Amino acid sequence: MSTKMFKVLGVLLAVTMLLGLAAPIAYAQEPCQGSSSQCAVEAAKKFAGTTINYVREAGLQAQDPLTMAPIWEELTGIKVNVIELAYLDMYTKPLQDHLTGGGAYDAIDLSPMWMQDYVNAGALEPLDPYIEKYMNPADMEDFLPVYRSEGVMKINGVTYGLYDDGDVFILYYRKDLFEDETNKAEFKAKYGYELVPPETEQQMYDAAEFFTNKYAPELYGLAIQRIEGQAYSWFVGPFSGRGGQFFDENMKATINSDIGVQLLTDMVKQNKVMPPGVEKWGFMEVLSAWMDGKVAMIVTWPPIGRWSAGYGDTAKQLAWVPASKVVGKVGYMPQPGGRPTLAGGFNMCVTATSANKEAAYLFIQWMTSPDISLQRVMLPFALRDPYRLSHFSSPLYRSAWPEAGEYLDTLKKAGMSGQYELGIPGAREYMEAIDNALTAAYAGKDPKAALDEAAAKWDAITERLGVENQKKAYEQWLKNPWNRLGPTVEVPTE
Amino acid sequence: MAAASEAIAMSSGMPQRRKRNLIPWMFVAPCMLVILLVTIFPTIYSLGLSLTKWEIGLQERPFIGLGNYIELFSTPRFLHSLLITLLVVVVGVSVEFGLGFSLAQLLSGEMKGKRVIVAALLLPVMVMPVVVGYTWRLLWDAQYGPINQIIGWIIGQPFTYTWLAKTETALFAILVTEIWQWTPFMFLVFLSGLAVMDPEVFEAADIDGASGWAKLWYMTLPLMRPIIIVALLIRGLDALKFFDIIFTLTGGGPGNSTETLSFYIYQTGYQFFRLGYGAAASFVLLVFLALFLTYLLKAFRATVEG
Repeated sequence: MSTKMFKVLGVLLAVTMLLGLAAPIAYAQEPCQGSSSQCAVEAAKKFAGTTINYVREAGLQAQDPLTMAPIWEELTGIKVNVIELAYLDMYTKPLQDHLTGGGAYDAIDLSPMWMQDYVNAGALEPLDPYIEKYMNPADMEDFLPVYRSEGVMKINGVTYGLYDDGDVFILYYRKDLFEDETNKAEFKAKYGYELVPPETEQQMYDAAEFFTNKYAPELYGLAIQRIEGQAYSWFVGPFSGRGGQFFDENMKATINSDIGVQLLTDMVKQNKVMPPGVEKWGFMEVLSAWMDGKVAMIVTWPPIGRWSAGYGDTAKQLAWVPASKVVGKVGYMPQPGGRPTLAGGFNMCVTATSANKEAAYLFIQWMTSPDISLQRVMLPFALRDPYRLSHFSSPLYRSAWPEAGEYLDTLKKAGMSGQYELGIPGAREYMEAIDNALTAAYAGKDPKAALDEAAAKWDAITERLGVENQKKAYEQWLKNPWNRLGPTVEVPTE
Repeated sequence: MAAASEAIAMSSGMPQRRKRNLIPWMFVAPCMLVILLVTIFPTIYSLGLSLTKWEIGLQERPFIGLGNYIELFSTPRFLHSLLITLLVVVVGVSVEFGLGFSLAQLLSGEMKGKRVIVAALLLPVMVMPVVVGYTWRLLWDAQYGPINQIIGWIIGQPFTYTWLAKTETALFAILVTEIWQWTPFMFLVFLSGLAVMDPEVFEAADIDGASGWAKLWYMTLPLMRPIIIVALLIRGLDALKFFDIIFTLTGGGPGNSTETLSFYIYQTGYQFFRLGYGAAASFVLLVFLALFLTYLLKAFRATVEG
């Protein structure tokens, strides 16, 4: 199955190269009427011989551009130098470079959460003139609405990035355990309702408690990443889903509201039905336990779904991923609670200090174009997740493994009901305060006291950056329906 | 010869004395220039920075005088990081001193296999702190860590305590890790010191019937004093800048409970780009380092001279 898929992908890549080499002159006409990827290739040929420095997250993430860069170079003569940075360094290093004169990076990957800081610092090149000149307008409409909205690709109506990673939390559950008749009967006897794939947080907790009590230490009901650094991502979605708000009308922090405190109390309670030591579990620990069949449910990013299914598990880049013992046993649901966290994600951006802005833009247009990006989100070892309408409906992707269609539908549904992390100036500092509150509560601190402390930090940050400035930025940020907190998203009609 | 060079100097219009005075300056000038560029200038620049409100989220960088310093000392998180730093210096370095000195005493005499033991004891100090941090993170792991496994064997039931995620034990775990890595340094310095001590002094004490304790208290320690001060100075300065192990082991958590001053500066300056505030915190650390250095150097000078 996977070998066949590789062959198909290989043929697609080869066809792309040939098409690029033999692209008709029509594609070089402006504005682009044909394929955005081919328009980018044609326009980029005049920059042959230049080198673009492109920042990508280190490790598996970088395997994608390392695979695609030689193809781009073959097509255009432009070399791409992939610079690998740790996730949090992707925020700091390009900004440091910009503040000290810049020029080290041409294209960078940025989480939507960081965009405001970069735009405020004048570190990003507005992309609208390039889009108008080189991109087929239809391809802009192909981005899933949640990923092309204000605060994501656009800041104050100006496009600064092309979205390139449909990161959203979904719940993976073990179908075999949930469909087991004995489990179903025992669960119903204990909890008074059917054992179903959880849609609510309470259902998830009950199922986790049930499986842990029945199977631990061989198997635990639930595992969620709790380690410091990005723990806040698992707070944001449920907080929004329960109706929590980040700020009141005076920009006073309200994360320590009753909703926030109850949520944190529940999160601390969840730890008790998770494996021992889960407070220090990161992505790898969750992945290992899941692939080894040691947990019944996990809430995490999309790539695990592909690896669980054994998709592309023969790729040498995936040699470090534990072999899946749960192939064919995995079901998918959006993160319980109504508003799955749109955790992380990446825009591809061009730096304001780049000496090769146009070439850098053409490269990111090519990478994010419908045909090329489909190949990239299907690379088994890449961590880019589907984000275009054409990705979700692709027959090729939907047949990649037996449950791939269900997987793609879940990702789309989760994305369209998702909740973005705060994306106003100082976002990293705000989120770090929540992170500290969570880890302190996991360590035994009273959830109310922990969130009160976080709220005080939030107020201090707001005060420091200027209440009016922050209020204005927050109001602008709230214009995106997927930024607005609340149990449901009011999806705009197109 | 002298007359000739004087004649040359006179002929070049430059008095010989003045020329002689300039030559040493010419030799040190490149070095001075480098120091000026890489040390003095950044220090003055960051001092200036510490007097401004430099925030990534703000367009302007206004001069605020001592505003950052005032904010520092009214921020509980900063004061807490200061406390943790002092705790690491006082507790960590003291234990390293005690263990290092004891081990050095134990191995100062001749014994079989001494070379192998000394070489083995020195291994931790040769490992990069980041590697030490990640290694100990595995050792402290709740479910799969050997420490819990051994405790489990001793108490006869599975033990899955989360050392690094509990406020009460995270700092303890950090201190153990730090002490494990740096005790060998103390040991090495003290072993060298003990090796060069005159054995005749101790033989005389033996003839006088001095007890082991008396020899240690009245002879070894006073004679070793300059070496002890140098060892404390090096380790103390290092511990005041303690960062790597915190970064890898706990990330300053749970909450902010294990943040040291260096980690706090890293967070504010390099993660949140509060450059003015971060520069002010750096200067506070610099003052602490200067005070510590001055005190120990004074003690060292007194010992050597007295």
